[in-house]
Amino acid sequence: MATMPAFLRKNEAPAAPAPAPETVTRTARPRAARDPFRLRALPHDDIFFHCKRIDNSRLVREADPQARGACWSAIGAACLLLVLLTSAFAPTAMTTLAGYKLEALHSEERRLLEERRVLDLQEAELLSPARLDQLAHENNLVTPSSGQVIHLDKPEGEVAMVK
Amino acid sequence: MERRLIWLALVIGMWGAAILANLISLQVIHHREYAGKARAIQEVVVQIPAPRGTIFDRNGQALAMSVSTQSVHVNPQKVPDIGVASELLALVLHLDRAELEAKMRAACESGRGYLRVKRNITPEEYESLRKMALDWIGIATESQRHYPKGQLAAHVIGGVDFEEKGNAGIEKALENELRGIPGRARMLTDVKRRGIESHEAQEPRTGTAITLTIDERLQFVAEREIAEAVAAHHAASGSVVAMNPYTGDILALASYPTYDPNAPPQPGDDPAARLNHAVSVPFEPGSVFKVITLSAALETTSLNPESPINCNGGKITLYGRTIHDSHAGMGVVPMKTVLARSSNVGAIQVGLKVGQTNMNDYVRRFGFGRRTGISLPAESAGKVRKLQYWGKTSLPSVSMGQEVSVTTLQLAQAACVIANGGSLVKPRLVLKRGNQLQPVEPPVRVLKPDNAITMRQMMEGVVLVGTGSRARLAGYSSGGKTGSAQIFDFATKHYTHTYNGSYMGFAPLTNPSVVVVVTLNGTHGEAGFGGQAAAPVFKVVAGEALRIFDVPKDLPEAEKARTQVARNEDLDDLAIADLGANGPNILEDGDDDDAPPGAAAATAAPVPANAAAGTMVVKGPPGPTVPNFRGKTMRDVLAEAAARGLVILPDGSGIARVQYPAPGTPLHEGDRIRVQFAR
Repeated sequence: MATMPAFLRKNEAPAAPAPAPETVTRTARPRAARDPFRLRALPHDDIFFHCKRIDNSRLVREADPQARGACWSAIGAACLLLVLLTSAFAPTAMTTLAGYKLEALHSEERRLLEERRVLDLQEAELLSPARLDQLAHENNLVTPSSGQVIHLDKPEGEVAMVK
Repeated sequence: MERRLIWLALVIGMWGAAILANLISLQVIHHREYAGKARAIQEVVVQIPAPRGTIFDRNGQALAMSVSTQSVHVNPQKVPDIGVASELLALVLHLDRAELEAKMRAACESGRGYLRVKRNITPEEYESLRKMALDWIGIATESQRHYPKGQLAAHVIGGVDFEEKGNAGIEKALENELRGIPGRARMLTDVKRRGIESHEAQEPRTGTAITLTIDERLQFVAEREIAEAVAAHHAASGSVVAMNPYTGDILALASYPTYDPNAPPQPGDDPAARLNHAVSVPFEPGSVFKVITLSAALETTSLNPESPINCNGGKITLYGRTIHDSHAGMGVVPMKTVLARSSNVGAIQVGLKVGQTNMNDYVRRFGFGRRTGISLPAESAGKVRKLQYWGKTSLPSVSMGQEVSVTTLQLAQAACVIANGGSLVKPRLVLKRGNQLQPVEPPVRVLKPDNAITMRQMMEGVVLVGTGSRARLAGYSSGGKTGSAQIFDFATKHYTHTYNGSYMGFAPLTNPSVVVVVTLNGTHGEAGFGGQAAAPVFKVVAGEALRIFDVPKDLPEAEKARTQVARNEDLDDLAIADLGANGPNILEDGDDDDAPPGAAAATAAPVPANAAAGTMVVKGPPGPTVPNFRGKTMRDVLAEAAARGLVILPDGSGIARVQYPAPGTPLHEGDRIRVQFAR
């Protein structure tokens, strides 16, 4: 059974420097006869894994003030960058948004002005003397004679009083 | 190795050069083209509307205004299938498919790239077309002129053509001020065509608002009354001018027949309806011109209202031409009676004392023979001959209102001279341009103030005891003068028996607030004389003006009950002023004319001394009056009329709504009552 280090070592084995040719001693052994019915081994066929329990509870990270400082510096720099980017691009974005709003308001203003003109026109049509005269006839109303209408003197009184 | 490097450098260099060349092509050579394409994608041109200026009356009531509308047009050359397109458009725009298809095919075959399909589309139609987003359909925003009061003051306001250019009235006269020039803005848009930013490429110039001196309430009454009078007296046309005598403000300027400026002119329409008779159509004034003769006499001679004038029994022969007073036949009478009874011979006698030069001078001083300068196109100057062209009979003719032609507006201007104390004011139609008040031009002195007051008193006599009794106002004193001039037929060189009946007057007497001149052209018969046809119109219009402007009454209400209309023959202004209805034509026959029977008895009696002082003179018991038919059915009206022996001219059907003369008006022999029925 192989452990992970052994497995890694085994894999790393080919990377090890090859012995000098003169130091290699070949033993002439007779080649074993190959069993024609035996399957060829698959790569890493002989490797078996098992879980090894490691207790890290006693491990304590060593205090590293420099790393912490670097971390905070990185955070600060990122924030600064964010602020800078925001301040750089926010006005443009706000201008664009305001532009949208402004144009929408412009078109709304034009539409409302047109609407007001149409309403003014309708009002003028409704206040046509010919129409008022016809309505007065239908309701048996007559024009007050001269001097029959008395306008109140009080400044707040805009009401006409008929004798 | 070095060779390979050189090759590599050459390839890279060529590649860089190609990029540079392309950059130069894009940024320099074809810069405009690509910039234009980019703009076309990113920018849209927005029209900033600048509507034509609104026209208001003196109280701020809109008489003419413009609103934006959308119109649909297509490019027939781009339409893929005219049959489908016409069906689609007809469905959306509620048009006739076959007609539209025929139009589109015709436009396509003739090679036209523009065909207007419909104007003034509704918002729903606009939305439907916009959602289709078809490249061959175009929607344009255009301005449309509206006249919300319809026919009201049509001749004053005028109208516009299809390009919204003024073609008559104030619309034409003040075209440069009223016209608005729309602006343009370039708007940067996003991919959804929402506006991001816009720059004004051309600033819009809104048309200037114009405030007229017209009062729409008085204008309405003037138009209504002149229309009724023209119909009642079978006249061809009529006009009314109401003026403020001190400022020259035109308060009402009505002309009949009239038209609706909202409706474009159609072939076959009567062109006379679009004529402003008050300003553009001169006529012989007749007896109203005697006011000018007597004013000149007060200024240039020693004559005064009590000076005796010999009316020669009603006829005078000058240079072989006899002119007579028809049935009047007056002897020696005070000059004020000459005016009150409209004596033709008396006016000639006065005119002869004034002299040709002075008469010509005063006619021109009163503003005749030249345009008044009102802000309206096609104003007529009338006709006053130069002094060197005056003939032997010109002075007598001019003295009684012949051989001159005037407009109703000129008569109103002349009446203002008497009403305001002797100054000629220029008629003013524009009160404000934008918010700027228009100054009143300084008046020109024509008469001495005391002579103007004397003329006012003499003109009061016309109303109290003379030919203008139908113009008498309830609660107000007034002065005036009637006129009934025969219309000259240039084809036959004869005066015809159709008349210009006119009345010019003012009220109240002591401090006149309004001058009203009424003219009816082409009236027939005695009912068409100025005293009978025009004076009642003055009464209504002046009464309404005094009511609207809150002018205090200067006569007690009790006077109203004592008001008495003069007898019919007293209103026969023509008989007094010109020839009798059956008399020979003065241009044709210069011999003596017999005075009509009964003429001597008519006015030989002297006028009571208290008449000119303002005391009402009651002449006999009151006669029958016009009954009130309003609210009755036609059957009831006809039955009642038959029972009373009245002649009714019914018009329409249903219930009686309007009648002329008004209920309570004294009835005279031969009077006919026009009753308008409506459901």
